[in-house]
Amino acid sequence: MKITAIRHVRGFDVARPVSIGVMLAIMLPLVLLPLLSIFIYGTGKGLGVFWSSLVAPEAIFALKLSMVTSFWATVFNVIFGLFAAYVLSRYDFWGRNAVIVTISLPTAIPTAVAGFALLLLWGPYGTLGRLLNPQGVQLMFTPYAIILANVFVTFPLAFGVIKPVFDTMSRSLEEASATIGATRWQTFWHVTLPSLRGAIVSGALLTFARAVGEFGSTILVSGNLALRTQTAPLYIFAKFNEGQIEAANAIAIVLALLSFVIFSVLFFARDWLEFEVQEA
Amino acid sequence: MIPKMAFAPDKDRPPASPAPDQGQRPGIAASVQGLSKHFKKARVLEDISFDVAEGESLVLLGASGSGKTTILRIIAGLEQPDKGRVILHGKDVTDLPARERGVGVIFQAYALFPRMTVEKNIGYGLRIRRRPRKERRETVNRLLKLVQLEEHRKKYPWQLSGGQQQRVAIARTLAYKPQVLLFDEPFGALDAQTRVHLRREIRALLRQVKVPSVFITHDQEEALELGDRIAVLNDGHLEQVGTPDEVYNHPATEYVATFLGAANLLLGVVTSGCVEIGTARVPAAKETTRFREGQSVKLVFRPEGVCLSQDANLPEGCRRLANGVIEEVNFVGPYERLNVRLDLTHRRQAENEPPLYDVTINTPERMRGVPIMVTRPKPDANATKYKAGDRVAVGLTSFSVLPNYTLARQR
Repeated sequence: MKITAIRHVRGFDVARPVSIGVMLAIMLPLVLLPLLSIFIYGTGKGLGVFWSSLVAPEAIFALKLSMVTSFWATVFNVIFGLFAAYVLSRYDFWGRNAVIVTISLPTAIPTAVAGFALLLLWGPYGTLGRLLNPQGVQLMFTPYAIILANVFVTFPLAFGVIKPVFDTMSRSLEEASATIGATRWQTFWHVTLPSLRGAIVSGALLTFARAVGEFGSTILVSGNLALRTQTAPLYIFAKFNEGQIEAANAIAIVLALLSFVIFSVLFFARDWLEFEVQEA
Repeated sequence: MIPKMAFAPDKDRPPASPAPDQGQRPGIAASVQGLSKHFKKARVLEDISFDVAEGESLVLLGASGSGKTTILRIIAGLEQPDKGRVILHGKDVTDLPARERGVGVIFQAYALFPRMTVEKNIGYGLRIRRRPRKERRETVNRLLKLVQLEEHRKKYPWQLSGGQQQRVAIARTLAYKPQVLLFDEPFGALDAQTRVHLRREIRALLRQVKVPSVFITHDQEEALELGDRIAVLNDGHLEQVGTPDEVYNHPATEYVATFLGAANLLLGVVTSGCVEIGTARVPAAKETTRFREGQSVKLVFRPEGVCLSQDANLPEGCRRLANGVIEEVNFVGPYERLNVRLDLTHRRQAENEPPLYDVTINTPERMRGVPIMVTRPKPDANATKYKAGDRVAVGLTSFSVLPNYTLARQR
């Protein structure tokens, strides 16, 4: 994007370098230095130490568990978000706005509260858990609990990205498809879904990024059992408490890089995504 | 060739009228009967009926908010009427969903599928009908040729000009052999020049494919050029359905007269085969037969239906209206436009009085003079030049006489 600034003064305008400098000076201690220090400390004892901390079985397991649970939470939330967005933008019904608010609610709930709430429902003595426990079904303190927690805290993200695209999508595309002879499903598959591609991709990335980093709710519902229910953020926390800074740091670097990659994709894909919307 | 059809159907039509089985009559491709529609409390359509003959193009002409888009959407099945039927080739489709009607809609912004190339857009109708690949390819090729877009087949809609997009939209509907084509303001998004060019193109294309079509537009020029017949809509009801010649030269209502081009309206009274307007009397034996003596009427004539003369002798076929004075002369491109004040209050001419008595724009008569608009073609304008203040005799070559309803809504 080309930016042209209004000319406010004659000759050289100091406002430009000064304001850019101030902005970076504020960001430096708050965001840039903390991130940088992960990399400095993580590789401080040599790449060998970094590598061996990274390939420790517990670390590998934690990373893998994070990826897998986040993946399933993302799959569920994207599909549900798509479905909910479709229903809420196509049908008007009593209480529609209440549903929209409810879907968006998990963003505002502290993650620890979310984890606690899940425990109260599904835990061994929880409202539903009490009934399931005698059947031998125990959801809490398993990877399923982590997926549940991830689903809960990332619930509105995909929906929030997809819904506005649904709302602004021109109805005449779907109407054209219908008059041409397509069924509802054919129209959705051939016309609606392709227009949502960008929104689905960015919704999925956002959900995944958020789920991978989830800590507050996960630590409550997972039990934080190494090699069983310990996700990457929990691993960092556990190793740090044990004083194994290198082990924690290695995983921290991986998570930081991952989120960096995801948000770069999101940022640079934005042009592509906007372009898609324009077309539609 | 076109069955003359019911406009603004009378409530007291005899029950033996052929209307109920119009759909079965051969030659009628589509018909709507008694459509009514309300949105919330607002009445959008009231008792709309018309037919479209095989191969015919009918234009629904009306201002925005007149309900023309709603009619189109009802025919397409995108909207349900409160009352009335939609019949396509003799089959009542009122309760069928849009996809089972086989109607081709060309949407205002064309609604081409942005993720599909031109050929995929055109092949969409056959693809969802699961037709064999070979048939699909042949049809797409044939249609690409028809709309002359063969070299653009791999392009995406946004890479095409407005006119090309429109042709893709038409080809996309022709692929599944629609029963009727519906055009929703087809030229609304285009600039004036492209518009004129494209409507000729579409007209030629439709003559080739012979699919009956319904256009909706608010542009009267477009309507006159595109329509075999024009249905004029006003505020949810049909004012008149007829050929362009009928609606333009013989408007049935004041609304039609004023909506289709400029019209002058003068209030008068029917008096023994004449229309009396103030002191002027226009002989109109034929036009006044349907009125009773003394009935209040409106004399409606177009600016180009006026002839002027500097002496009292008006050309052959021109009926004398009154004397007047030129108030303003404007040169408007292909023709000349004059504002004339008519003297309709002068006493009857005395025996030896000169034929063009004293009307000027400088006397108080100016305030009482009734203004009309007159246009003259170039040759006439060049032959006799007029300037403001000239006194002229004013005659009419063609006009209509309409009832003057002041209280009841005009129907």
